[in-house]
Parts: sequence; structure tokens; C-alpha cells
Amino acid sequence: MDVLLDGLVDAVRLLLTGDQDSWSITALTLRVSLTATAIALLLGLPLGATIALARFPGRRIALAAANTGMGMPPVVVGLFVTVLLWRSGPIGGLGLLYTPTAMVIAQAAIATPIVVALVAAALQQVDPDFRVQMQALGATPIRAFAALLGEARLPLLAAAMAAFGAVVSEVGAAQMVGGNLAGQTRVLTTAAVLATSRGQFSLAIAFGLILLLIAFCVNLSLTLIQQRQTALR
Amino acid sequence: MSTGIGCRNLRVYAGRRELLSVPDLHVASGRTLAVLGPNGAGKSTLLRALGHLSNHRVTGEVLLDGRPAPRSVMRDAVVAVLQRPIMRRGTVAANVITGLRFRGMNHREARTRAWPWIEALGLEPLVDRDARSLSIGEAQRVSITRALAVGPRVLLLDEPFSGLDSTTRADLLADLRAALTGRPTATILVTHDRHEALALAEDTALLIDGQIRQHGPTAEVLDNPGDVDTARLLGYTNLLSPALTGGTQTLVARPEHTHLALGDESDDAWVVSGTLRRTVALGVATRIDVDTPAGPLTCLHPGDVLGTELPPIGSDVRVRIWQARSLT
Repeated sequence: MDVLLDGLVDAVRLLLTGDQDSWSITALTLRVSLTATAIALLLGLPLGATIALARFPGRRIALAAANTGMGMPPVVVGLFVTVLLWRSGPIGGLGLLYTPTAMVIAQAAIATPIVVALVAAALQQVDPDFRVQMQALGATPIRAFAALLGEARLPLLAAAMAAFGAVVSEVGAAQMVGGNLAGQTRVLTTAAVLATSRGQFSLAIAFGLILLLIAFCVNLSLTLIQQRQTALR
Repeated sequence: MSTGIGCRNLRVYAGRRELLSVPDLHVASGRTLAVLGPNGAGKSTLLRALGHLSNHRVTGEVLLDGRPAPRSVMRDAVVAVLQRPIMRRGTVAANVITGLRFRGMNHREARTRAWPWIEALGLEPLVDRDARSLSIGEAQRVSITRALAVGPRVLLLDEPFSGLDSTTRADLLADLRAALTGRPTATILVTHDRHEALALAEDTALLIDGQIRQHGPTAEVLDNPGDVDTARLLGYTNLLSPALTGGTQTLVARPEHTHLALGDESDDAWVVSGTLRRTVALGVATRIDVDTPAGPLTCLHPGDVLGTELPPIGSDVRVRIWQARSLT
């Protein structure tokens, strides 16, 4: 119990004084995870919308694949990306392994199926004739699609939150493709793992608290957007 | 060329199967056409094809003012109301101005333009309500107001009254009728209910199996079934074969014109013998089914005649048909 209490006190002190290392680790965590989430949204939104709205052979298989992908262990993704980027691998020549770019790739691969599955679910919740009715009122197909996104904005924002939450908190892929190099690819999760293994519990707790704080702030801002629009109703 | 909406050689296919084939149809501005047909006849298919809203393969031409119109022109001119009212998130007012907003109008202007319609259809008490909290009748009223607010040149109505209770439906029909009167809108109402056609439309077309079987002034079409299918659609559900009437051709009669012969009426009506199968109290009327050697007949007696006047189930009865017509 003492370890935990001392750890917490130390952690708060560390946070308040804030050394250079902690700040750069936090900044990198934000950069990597937000970029990965943005890429996942860019890829996942059109894919999820296609699966939800278009009629093509293999549509259900694609949806099942995305749903499976939601539960894919980050370690497995990390393994695939590592093999891909390995010096003798298919795109090893780019020299990306153990760089933040590699971490963005891995985290985007984790988040994309989440976005696809949740976007598809979000859009399928809306009445199937919604777009037809909007077009029947004079909307262009693009405008009708935009209206559909507006209609489903609450679950769509939830998809974004779920994607960010998944990547900011994962440690397996970040460790494998990033390598936890100090000052280069160390993020909050890998730093916390390292600190814990060295017995520096207060440091690990401090990283954990920052992680929680980031997750809370990002989700708070998304929730505020979500609920502001609900209030406008 | 007259103004309004129409089509030429309009065909709709699901895969290889032809769902609909309408060689020629025209509804002039300011007039209403009811397309009457049973379930699955292709009514909604026709409506969606005319509004360029179909998911199926469509061939032929949709004409606006007698000429094929590009999609962008049609989009501005035509508004459709679907069977289920589909509301957007937001208030009733926000929903009513949706069509105007799609036409590039700002919020304020759209609200000003829509307000007379909100008043005409009695939606003032609902304007600030969440559109998703409405009853189905209220929502359909909003949906129709939303379409009218655009001031469309063509209004397409896809069975908008079918899910409503009779009082709500009668009110909405009357208000819609009043709203359309004197306006230069060409309206097409798709329905399976001939009373809606009578209430709203000057002209009626009968659509069966994807083909228009009859088309003309409503009163005329509703009383002149051309074949057995249209007879059933128009409420002439009693078929009287030549064997039954002693004539040369099959006659059709409405249940309202078919009664059980309870007394000793002797007039020029047809009288047929049969067995009483069942009776159903419908409130304002009583339905009596009778089996005859040439098929079942349905009688509809006004009021509640159960119990006192009727012979028991299974007894031999005579049915009196005092109005029947040949298929024209």
C-alpha cells in the first residue's frame, strides 16, 4: 500500500515539476496516436460507409473481417508491421523500423478496422430510406450522404473516440515497431512498462496518470462536440 | 406542350425481370393523378422511377413539361413523400425547411417561406418539438408539410396515409386537398385505397402487375372495372358467373349492393341460393359470407343486424344482388 501511495505522491510531484523527458514522451505519444487516428478515420470512413451502404458481393465478409479486426491483438499487428519493415522485408529498404512513422503505421492498422466496423454500424442504424428521402427533397447524392453523416454523428464520434482510445493505450505494437528508443520512439505506454520493470513505480504511475489525462481530455472534447450538437436539437 | 410531369416508354427492371412498363403517362400542372394498385403492383417503383430515386435499372424517359429534363432540373422541380415519414434529427421546424435548405436558401429565409405552410397544416404547436418524438400521424403531417414548403412543381406521394388511423387520415387528406387546391402542382398519389383517390384525385390510373390497365377521370374509373383484377381492386369483390345469373357474361357486384334476402322482397334483383358461412360485426356494418355453388359471395348490411334477424350459421339462405355490372 505504501508503494502505491508514495508512487502517487511522487507522480504528482513529477507531473508538477515536469522534466524535459516526460514532456517529449508525452508530445510523441500525442503526435503518433493522433496521426494514426486521423489516418484510420480517413481510411475507415469511406470503407465503413461503402460496407454499410453499397451492395456488392463479399460485403458481409468484409464486415465480418472488420469486426474481427476490432479485436485484433496489437502484438499481432506489431509483428506483421515489423516483418514488413524488417531490413530484408518487402519495404525494408525505406528504413522505417524503429521510427515514429513505423509506430503510426502500426497504430493506424490497429485503429482502421475499429473505425470501419463502428462507422458501418453507425450508418446502418439510420433508416435505409434516409438518403432516398433527402434526395427526394432535392439533395444531391453528395448532400444526401452528408446529411446521413450528420444524422449519425453521435455514433460516428464514438467511433473516433474508440479508435483513439485503442491506439493511445496499446503497448505491444509501439514496443515492437518503435523499439522504445529514448528520445526517439519512447511513448507513455512503453515508458511506463520500462519504468515498472526497473522498479521505478512512481515514474510508471506518473506516466500512467498522464496517459489517463490525455485520454480523458481527448474524449472530453469529442464528447463536448457530440453533446453540443445534441443540445442544438 | 402542356406543363406537368410524364414519362415515355418507362421500364424498370430488377435484374432481368421487368417490374414496370408504362408506355405513356402525363399529369398536367394543377391536377392530381391517383395510381391505384394492389400490393406489389409496382406503384412505389413507378413513383421512384419518376422521381429519379430508383435503385433499379430504369429505361425510357421522364418528361417535365413534355421534354426530357436533366437530373439537376428534376431535382429542383420534384419532391417526393415516402410511405414512412423519415425525420432528421432536430426540431419540426428544422425538418420542414430541409427541402428549402437543399435549394440553397439560408435558414432565416427558409423559415419565412415555410411558415405559411406550417400554419396551413396546423403545425404551429409542434414547431419546436424534437421531430423524433412525434407520433406517426404527426410525423407524416410534418413530412407532407416539408414537401409542400418547397413549392414543388411536381409532388409525388407514396402511400403517405397508409399507416394512419382513420381519423388522422381523414384530417390529413382534407388539409392536403385544401393545400393543393389552386396551386400549379402536378401531383401523383400512389395508393391501394380507392377512397383516397376519390378524395384527392381528378384522375385515376389502375396499376396491376406493372402495367396501367385503366386511366381516366376518377369517378369513371372507379365505377368501371375492365377485368376481374381491377374489379377486385375497386371493391367489386363479388363475381357472378353466367351460371349464377342466367346471363351470358360474368357480372361483378360490390358487397354493399349484396344483401341477404330476409323477407319476401320481389323486385328485379338477382337472387342466388347458398349456405350461410359466417358473420362478422364491423361496427357500422355487418359482413355476411355466403357459399354458393358458383363461389363465395360477401354481403354487407348497414348497421348491426346480428342476432335478431339472421338465420343460424350453416342454414340455407338466399342472397339478393340489386346492383351488378358487366366488365367493360
